[in-house]
Amino acid sequence: MAELHIIGQIIGATGFPQNSLFCKWGVHTGGAWRLLSGLREGQTQVDMPQTGDMAYWSHPIDLHYTTKGLQGWPKLHLQVWHQDSFGRCQLYGYGYIHVPSSPGQHRLQCVTWRPLGSWQDQLSEMFVGGGPQLRSPDLIYSGADRYRLHTVGMGTVELELCIILRHFDRYGVES
Amino acid sequence: MADGWCSDNGESVYRSRDAVKNFRIRVRIQRVTSTAALSEHLHQQVLSQQERGVIELETFSTQTASSTDEEELVVAWQEKFFSQYEVDLYQTESNCQTPLERQYHTDIMAMERSKRRQNQRIFTYTDFDRFSKWEEQAQSLVIPAQPTPTFLAERMANVRHRRQERRPAESNVPKSRLITWEPSEEFVKNSHIINTPVQTMYIMADLGPTGKLGLKENEYVLCTIKADGNGVISIKPDFNNNRGAYRLETEGEKREVWRLYLENASSDIQAEEKDREQRMYRDLYTRHKDYLNSLVGQDFEMPPPGILRLIVNGEIVSAQGYEYDNLYVHFFVDLPNNWSSVSSHCLSGVTQTCRTRSIEKEDVAFFSYPFSFETFFHKEDESDGSLPQWPVLYFKVLSLDFWQRFRTEGYGYLVIPSTSGRHRMTCRTWRAVQRGTVAELRRFFIGGAPELEDISYVRIPGTFKGERLSRFGFRTQTTGSVTFTLNCIQHARAFIDASTLKKRRQTVLDQLGGHSQQGSVYNVLEAFQRAHKRMQEARETLPRDLINTSALLNSESSA
Repeated sequence: MAELHIIGQIIGATGFPQNSLFCKWGVHTGGAWRLLSGLREGQTQVDMPQTGDMAYWSHPIDLHYTTKGLQGWPKLHLQVWHQDSFGRCQLYGYGYIHVPSSPGQHRLQCVTWRPLGSWQDQLSEMFVGGGPQLRSPDLIYSGADRYRLHTVGMGTVELELCIILRHFDRYGVES
Repeated sequence: MADGWCSDNGESVYRSRDAVKNFRIRVRIQRVTSTAALSEHLHQQVLSQQERGVIELETFSTQTASSTDEEELVVAWQEKFFSQYEVDLYQTESNCQTPLERQYHTDIMAMERSKRRQNQRIFTYTDFDRFSKWEEQAQSLVIPAQPTPTFLAERMANVRHRRQERRPAESNVPKSRLITWEPSEEFVKNSHIINTPVQTMYIMADLGPTGKLGLKENEYVLCTIKADGNGVISIKPDFNNNRGAYRLETEGEKREVWRLYLENASSDIQAEEKDREQRMYRDLYTRHKDYLNSLVGQDFEMPPPGILRLIVNGEIVSAQGYEYDNLYVHFFVDLPNNWSSVSSHCLSGVTQTCRTRSIEKEDVAFFSYPFSFETFFHKEDESDGSLPQWPVLYFKVLSLDFWQRFRTEGYGYLVIPSTSGRHRMTCRTWRAVQRGTVAELRRFFIGGAPELEDISYVRIPGTFKGERLSRFGFRTQTTGSVTFTLNCIQHARAFIDASTLKKRRQTVLDQLGGHSQQGSVYNVLEAFQRAHKRMQEARETLPRDLINTSALLNSESSA
């Protein structure tokens, strides 16, 4: 088998309507992949920046995978949430990004979007918060059912990942 | 007496792979002033007067060898030897408050009962004693010592020895009460962490007059030993190692001088135990490595021979700069000749409808749409010398508004890169326009626009036959752009041979040229080797001809 190390961090997020953000993240892989060590999902702290627009999390990611095939390369999915002064949590965006397949250090920007309801939903959301959420985020890993959604673009999440490949060249993989 | 002294009182640092509990040090102190000198003086007087009897000589000899003037002790790591002061203090049970002191009380009573005291003057302060904390506070870096230590010195003394009051560390952090909003002094003492926790041990000596031991002002530090968890041991002062003795001078009126010898008494491990220990460690590491290898395994899926497998994991990141709002992208992958794909895979897709937002005066729609596909390349006709074509991703950007009107916003294409790795590409788009105002009015009010019947017309139409492609008469308008991110992975059995034989790494295009190009390279190499052999043969025959020619010249000259 070949081994893949993903070492890095979720640096922060920018471009959202308000700060005081936190992020739930997870890694999704195909059936041929097996996690040897590390946490495949987590949640950052709530960051309220004093100055500037960017919320910084510096959340570490350290994963060690082994695989029997190239199908189902790891995919990172992010949910950016906003916590207001009353402690209510509101969804601010979903983001999906493939883990890079070439070795080395990569600086990634993951754009996020959130689903949009009807104009009545938007009006009530403006006053009392909330809004539509995905019933199950797992359904759209492949992107096959995306066309049913009506979304609006939100901010950008910044990541830094370092990829180490082991034994892939032994099996003739050039990446 | 100054000749035998060692004046270097510096600290020495040792590294030990053994556990620190195997540490042993032999300490020996010896008094060298007034009593010994007086004994020698009297001894000489007695020798000069031989008329006296034998009894007086024996008396002086016994007095010279008095045990209170010399003591030797082997001290282990953190081994507690009690001083006379401590024996007097802890014998009374009312003086013991802490559990450690009660333990000392029990030990001292047992020692008094069994008469097994091994030391008289030399004693130790271990890391758990209170002296280790007082000693650090008492040490002052300035010559005129300040009466009270500074706030920082107090804090550092408390922080450095926080381990004694620490509770056993819990493995899991409780979910609730992550933050202590008002930390107490005890909390600060327990939780603050410094770099390297160091255990300290002091070897002391009670240098009071004979028969008057037990006073605290007569205590002197002989040796300070520190050890941390990484096997670093520092000893101040160092072992003597056949140098002169250290000089220890007491204060007060008498000004006595003592000799101090420090010797490493740690016993070496036996050869059999050392081999057993090394074998145990080796087995442990081997078993751990085997465990990891069993987790990783050996099998890996491989494509059939002669086939290149191309896997693309990509995202449609964003679309920017379009006229209308609520954009979505419809895309598909076109495979040229000799390329195939798994039937179960989907080579097309539609993104969600995304409302744009303004970023730096430009309307951007974020899609973050992941897609993956897998294709295979197999070149069946070797005689064809043309380079293989790569798959192309054609896409179309459309907009959909509240009244369900949709308009074509732009057409574009993206050639899959021929190199592996991560690529971020931005593709410009255009849309077809029709001459006249009626088409624009229809687009504005009703929706709809001229569309391409075959989207491959964006690049080279599939039905195109000929040598020159002309688009004269086709009218377009420039629109926005779409950003893609692609991760390309190429997989082939030929790459194993390339890496195994350590050939010079060629580009994928050269490798995909097939056997014909490799055959031509092989022919060139073979011709080069043949020329090389011919040159070697020519070089070998040349010296013989020269030797024969010189021989002929010699024979002619002799004649």
